[in-house]
Amino acid sequence: MLVLVLGDLHIPHRSGGLPAKFKRLLVPGKIQHILCTGNLCTRETYDYLKSLANDVHVVKGDFDEVSTYPEQKVVTVGQFRIGLCHGHQIIPWGDMESLAIVQRQLDVDILITGHTHKFEAFEHENKFFINPGSATGAYNTLDRDVIPSFVLLDIQKTTIVAYVYKIRDDDVVVEKVEYKKP
Amino acid sequence: MAAAQNKVKLFENVLNQEIISLEEIKKLCFSGCPEEASIRATCWKLLLNYIPPETADWKSHLKKQRESYAKFIDELVQNSVENDNDSSTKDHPLNTNPQSDWNQYFKDNEMLCQIDRDCRRLSPGLAFYQYETKYPYGKIFKSNHETNPLRKRLAGIALSAEEIHTNKVGTFQKNKEIKKKAPEQLSDGEEYHWEVVERILFVYTKLNKGQGYVQGMNEVIGPLYYTFATDPDQSGQENAEADTFWCFMNLMSEVRDNFIKSLDESKVGITHKMQQVMEVLEKIDTPLYIYLTKNLEVKPQYFCFRWITVLLTQEFDLPNVVRIWDSLLSHEKRFDFLIYICCAMLKLIRGDILKKDFTAALKTLQVRLY
Repeated sequence: MLVLVLGDLHIPHRSGGLPAKFKRLLVPGKIQHILCTGNLCTRETYDYLKSLANDVHVVKGDFDEVSTYPEQKVVTVGQFRIGLCHGHQIIPWGDMESLAIVQRQLDVDILITGHTHKFEAFEHENKFFINPGSATGAYNTLDRDVIPSFVLLDIQKTTIVAYVYKIRDDDVVVEKVEYKKP
Repeated sequence: MAAAQNKVKLFENVLNQEIISLEEIKKLCFSGCPEEASIRATCWKLLLNYIPPETADWKSHLKKQRESYAKFIDELVQNSVENDNDSSTKDHPLNTNPQSDWNQYFKDNEMLCQIDRDCRRLSPGLAFYQYETKYPYGKIFKSNHETNPLRKRLAGIALSAEEIHTNKVGTFQKNKEIKKKAPEQLSDGEEYHWEVVERILFVYTKLNKGQGYVQGMNEVIGPLYYTFATDPDQSGQENAEADTFWCFMNLMSEVRDNFIKSLDESKVGITHKMQQVMEVLEKIDTPLYIYLTKNLEVKPQYFCFRWITVLLTQEFDLPNVVRIWDSLLSHEKRFDFLIYICCAMLKLIRGDILKKDFTAALKTLQVRLY
């Protein structure tokens, strides 16, 4: 099962839209589910995601105009419990130990957060942590040079293959990270 | 009753010989197979060259064929692209390169979607396909999947999710989202008959890439699967899927030209066959022919097309279709005989047609006749 993970688009405040090369890759009919870490920020961006896949899960970021999104969400895919949270609430931002606390609170196998606009995927104490970065490459509070990136998860019975899409020198590069449920 | 029993005896006499005479079987089948003792299933398998006339070879032959079908299933029916643990491979799900496995996977999905749509409404007048099969995927094929992986490829279900809120005191509150379940889906390990048909068609199309899936194939496979899956013989019923697949292969090798668009206008194509129907009709019923072609200017495409491509499966109820197929499969000329059946159908409703104008006549021709 393919699950698209992305977030921190900041359209239209900090970015005009997704990079054209990403838009060309993301076509309807391929992905069934989307997990979004928030900061879209407008309704129109949500509608765009909805046009890619029917099942869209969003959590609230600090710049979202739609106020109905929940703060945190737990989604179950097969054997995996996946936690979703924007990440501005977790201080210090992007800190591994702080993230691990949330992971334990939600009791999830995988925790997906955003906010730092920096791609990250690592295992910590047998749990998997993903930060898809910013899909538009929007700047954040601390950093101007942000590489646009998103993650596509291929979830199988006990393994997850995370395909990481980044734009480097105007080209899309894809990397692969694997996680096996212990 | 006695006549029916006599008939069974006649069949059994022929079928019990060491080397079955196909000639005799054909003669008997032509006037209809009896329902008893899996005679029909055996005869059809013989007529479609699936099993050899030598009775002694049946067991080993069936075993071999069924095993190789299981192998196809294992290779082709996958829920996802095989993940080779080689991290150097450049393939990824959004790859637009035509050689990419993932690209192929999504193309197959489109095809599967079409097959799925057609199979769901297979013979809507008959409840059979909407029942659960006694021999679903998990029981027949020893693989690491419990359910048919194809089902997961299409399922548009939303993931089950819970929203988590923290109140001011800092305690967690969980709100379960209502999970939208796909309609009419069985639980894992169970399967409808139409899902089995869907899987056979999927494997068939994967193996015949040049031809692809064309609407109507589902109708052609229907009677075959019905006959084998209602076979009174236990092992026949159990292996209905594999048997149907091979018989369908053999049958399609004879009628596949009807389904290939580029051949439509050629000598083997569908246009030619419809022309033949009209030629025969001219010979046997000239007034009707003249009325249809000259007065009404009805083209054979308007009604004959469906009759010939799906081998009459749409025009009659399934039990009648099966009976017609008995004759169709056993006739010497087989699908040329179909042309004569079409003419006979026209002749039966000639009185109706001759009285009507274009629209009414066409309606008579296109609705289910009997």
